Amino acid sequence: MKKKILIANRGEIALRIIRAVQELGHIAVAIYETPDKDALHIRTADEAVWIGDGPRCDYLDIDKVIGVAKKAGVDAIHPGYGFLAENPDFAKACEHNGIIFIGPPSDVIQSLGDKVTARRIMKEAGIPMVPGTDNLSAGDHGLREAIDFADKYGYPVMLKATAGGGGRGIRRVENEKQMRAELPMARAEAKSAFNNDSVYLEKVVINPKHVEVQIIADKEGNTVHLGSRDCSIQRRNQKLVEIAPSLIQDKALVDKICETAVTAAKASHYVNAGTVEFLVDRDWNYYFMEINTRVQVEHTVTEMVTGIDIVRTQIKLALGKKLSFTQDDIHIRGYAVEMRINAEDPQNNFMPEGGKTVSVYRSPGGYGVRLDGFVYQGFTIPKVYDSLLVKMTVFGFSWNETVDRLLRCLNNFVITGPKTTIPYYVNLVQDPDFKRGDFDTSFIETHSHLINYEEQASEGNKLAHLIAEIHYKGENPYAV
Amino acid sequence: MERIVQGMGITEVLKIMRQADGYYITNTARDMSQSDYKNRILLHTDLLAAPSREEAGYFSLEITGGASVHVDILRKQVDPFLKLELLREKMPKTMFQTLCRGINLFGYRPYPQNVIRFVVKEFAKYVDVWRVFDFMNHVPNMQAVFEEVQAAGKILEPCICFSTGPEHTNEFYVKKVQEILDVTGNEIVLCIKNHGGLGSPKRAGDLVDAILQKYPEMIIHYHGHNTDGNDIGRIVAAAMAGAKIVDASDHAFTGFYGPPPILSVIHTLKEYGRNAVGINEAAIMETSEVLQPERKYYEYFESQIKGFDPTVQIHKLPGGAMGSSLEQAAKGGFLDKMPEILHKELPKVQIELGNYWSVTPGSQILWTTAVSNVQGGDRYGNCSGDLKNLLLGKYGPFPFYQPPDWIYEKAFGPEWKKVLEEQGGMEAIEDIDIDKERKVLADKLGYAPTEQQLVTYLQHPNDAVNFFRFEEKFGRVYVLPPSILFRRGGFKLGESITFKDHSGKEHIIEMGPMQESEDGSETNVYLNIDHHQRNFVFENAVAQAGEAKAAKLSKKEIEDLAKAGDVRTPFTANVCEISVKEGQEVKAGEKLVVLEAMKMQTPVNSEVDGVVAKIVAKVGDAVQPGDELVKVTPSA
Repeated sequence: MKKKILIANRGEIALRIIRAVQELGHIAVAIYETPDKDALHIRTADEAVWIGDGPRCDYLDIDKVIGVAKKAGVDAIHPGYGFLAENPDFAKACEHNGIIFIGPPSDVIQSLGDKVTARRIMKEAGIPMVPGTDNLSAGDHGLREAIDFADKYGYPVMLKATAGGGGRGIRRVENEKQMRAELPMARAEAKSAFNNDSVYLEKVVINPKHVEVQIIADKEGNTVHLGSRDCSIQRRNQKLVEIAPSLIQDKALVDKICETAVTAAKASHYVNAGTVEFLVDRDWNYYFMEINTRVQVEHTVTEMVTGIDIVRTQIKLALGKKLSFTQDDIHIRGYAVEMRINAEDPQNNFMPEGGKTVSVYRSPGGYGVRLDGFVYQGFTIPKVYDSLLVKMTVFGFSWNETVDRLLRCLNNFVITGPKTTIPYYVNLVQDPDFKRGDFDTSFIETHSHLINYEEQASEGNKLAHLIAEIHYKGENPYAV
Repeated sequence: MERIVQGMGITEVLKIMRQADGYYITNTARDMSQSDYKNRILLHTDLLAAPSREEAGYFSLEITGGASVHVDILRKQVDPFLKLELLREKMPKTMFQTLCRGINLFGYRPYPQNVIRFVVKEFAKYVDVWRVFDFMNHVPNMQAVFEEVQAAGKILEPCICFSTGPEHTNEFYVKKVQEILDVTGNEIVLCIKNHGGLGSPKRAGDLVDAILQKYPEMIIHYHGHNTDGNDIGRIVAAAMAGAKIVDASDHAFTGFYGPPPILSVIHTLKEYGRNAVGINEAAIMETSEVLQPERKYYEYFESQIKGFDPTVQIHKLPGGAMGSSLEQAAKGGFLDKMPEILHKELPKVQIELGNYWSVTPGSQILWTTAVSNVQGGDRYGNCSGDLKNLLLGKYGPFPFYQPPDWIYEKAFGPEWKKVLEEQGGMEAIEDIDIDKERKVLADKLGYAPTEQQLVTYLQHPNDAVNFFRFEEKFGRVYVLPPSILFRRGGFKLGESITFKDHSGKEHIIEMGPMQESEDGSETNVYLNIDHHQRNFVFENAVAQAGEAKAAKLSKKEIEDLAKAGDVRTPFTANVCEISVKEGQEVKAGEKLVVLEAMKMQTPVNSEVDGVVAKIVAKVGDAVQPGDELVKVTPSA
């Protein structure tokens, strides 16, 4: 039966979900704030509803979104990532209003969203954890706990906001003196950022690999994993490049991590798609970090190597279907890499290039290339949202083939108007360490030379520039 | 019949010429470009002509020097050295000739000795024949160039500049030749530089004869212009009298003020029993066949007034300055005053200023003075800085007589005698620190400049830097033909342009649409470059609210403001120097800013004692009358 599904998101993920909804024969309802009036997701959806001038407030407004959903008579809401995706109140509001929330139940979001609760659940399930504390007590007592912990496990340690996430609310503490100074500040910051001043400590794992596992579970408790991803290439805790599967040579270790992820999912009574994140240190110890209760930006790489459409599966599960495959049906083939092509100037500290118009957009194609983007030639990138233009996901049967294809695709990608991360990636995919698969979370920092590319135009382009100017002015202004 | 080829030394060249039965030809392509096309003939066109010019068998091809070095970087955006390198590749045998203004090199003002020597040394690597002149025929002004040319083993061709009038006797010129020989020795080619194309054929023949009477072994190179349409007459007379080299150029491009057609010279002299040595007539014809289709693309740069001008015998403007003078008159809106300027005022000014030779930079001084005398009403009421320098003898002593006292008084006020006494005479220009300039240029460019870049910079600092930056932005544009580089009115949608770039790589550019942004602030020009779509964004000019402030001020208002310390631009010019700093104390009469117009520099002095409160103008600004330059707070 045809269902109406509202996509409470924008940008490329809205399009990604709309496609899945339409493939399943359902009706996709888009919502948009004013700055997105020319966005592709509202042109592709079957219906689109304007929800306000925004920016970034109407997409976050639970009452408004629920109101629109009810008025449009939708059966389900897919929240995408970001915005309301991991807000338990939103999931709860959907449940109360008889709308299916495409994701885990609100109580699962709630408990996994609270880092300390999550750690407790995992500890009980015997999942390896980075040594850490519970929520620190208030006042001097908490400070004492913190100092004792650090003395036991050694500095540096991480001071984390219990309600934080996505790289926010984290401070690195190097010694006791700093601890005394930073702890009250961390509390104040957490209070203002997340309206919750709880903080806890974790030992710092130095330059780990970031390995995560895609899991998926139905309401009957059937839980499978779709293999690993390596997301170590990050800039200030923001992922830039994601790879499936992990390039760790020790396959038994990777299998163990994946199995641990399934255990973690089951321990938290997980339903629908999610991601279990781990850190892997230099001695090949791995530690649970967190479970993300949403579809990830980088889900595409897993889709490419497993053949499973994660978003379609999410919808089907939410609409009450059982998992149609078992763990034995899942096979990982080849390698996939996703590169986030952002409107940013890598040479200017990755400053966003929003507000600029995409004057030329020529994308690569051919075997093994997948693009999840939302810009088109003539589109002006809104200044008020994130800078992701398009995710380029490239698949290859071997790692080397994938890397070769990445370079070919980047070289074939032409975006003019805003500066993009493309030239930076061109350097990155040619880096010997990257080609060897040898990277951890310090990669961007330790490979700062990747920033050195010349934006120099070719001789043909330079001369064309003059010809364009002669054409525009009607005469050669340099020769009169 | 022996052809003279590149690599021969002066001794060998002189020997061959003395034995030759006939005369040689220099193709003065540079002078043709300067006189009839405002110097715009592109390297692209010269490269098309290069193979047949190489076969033509000239004594030399004049292809650089004069104003061309400056225009190369300013309007044609080609490196003057790269130009010579590329031409040399296609023309290994033909000697390249330059025209050098002695102490003024390829510019308009004297340069320090070490700069002169450095520049000549670098150019001498490419240039075989050095025609050197001084507009005052003051031999010491040419000495440094002479020495460097001879030291480099190149052919030195000193000039006697020629003019007409009672003082311009054979006796005077023969004496001048001796002055030159005293400095250079006998191993030279002597040029009679008739840049205006003045005098009758008889006069030209007589002068050659008079020189040869005294110096029978002398190889004389006659240089003329066809402004009055009679240069072939003078060439024939000079050759018949014994001149061994004459100047002409390719008929496909001959105009009115430059050289006459080579073939006409050859055919005429043949009837007189004189043969052009080493010349291949078929190659000369072929050159013009190759050039003919290109001429239409230069139409815009041809003279505003067409036709020969026999009145050159009265106004004496050199061929090289005719085009630019007429252009200034047309742009300045005083074309209707040309008869008065050319036929009445200019001859008068020439006599008043000593009847020296009207050639760069002296011709510009005569011309701007005559224009200013007619336009301003008050004769010599607004003397340019260069005229003042001329009067002070900074370019050299007057050859025949000094201008009358009243002109000095007009220029320097009642105390002019004291000024002349204190400031008069030539002064040695101090050497500059070339290494320091190299560092300054490196800072400006952000990379270490080549020696050639430094040479260009030392001559034209601002324009050279602009040119180097232009090349970084737009590449080597000499590869584009005049049909592209000088296109007027834009291109057609879908028009495709093909060319090989400097490295030899082929490109195809297809013109796409031109589209204005929604708010009208920008225009996108879409092109397919080598089949890849690209666009270039241009900001649309908006009528600025600020333009009201440049509302026209009358000359009187500008003067009144200056007396109150509000120094405004008196005429359309470029700012070439800011002579003071903010906060500096100045006295009335002290130089604040130097403006440049029509290649002449004019200082703007403070009218009051005071302190410089604000400097509004920047070096390189193009300023209009009434624009603010400097504010001086008058002292109480």
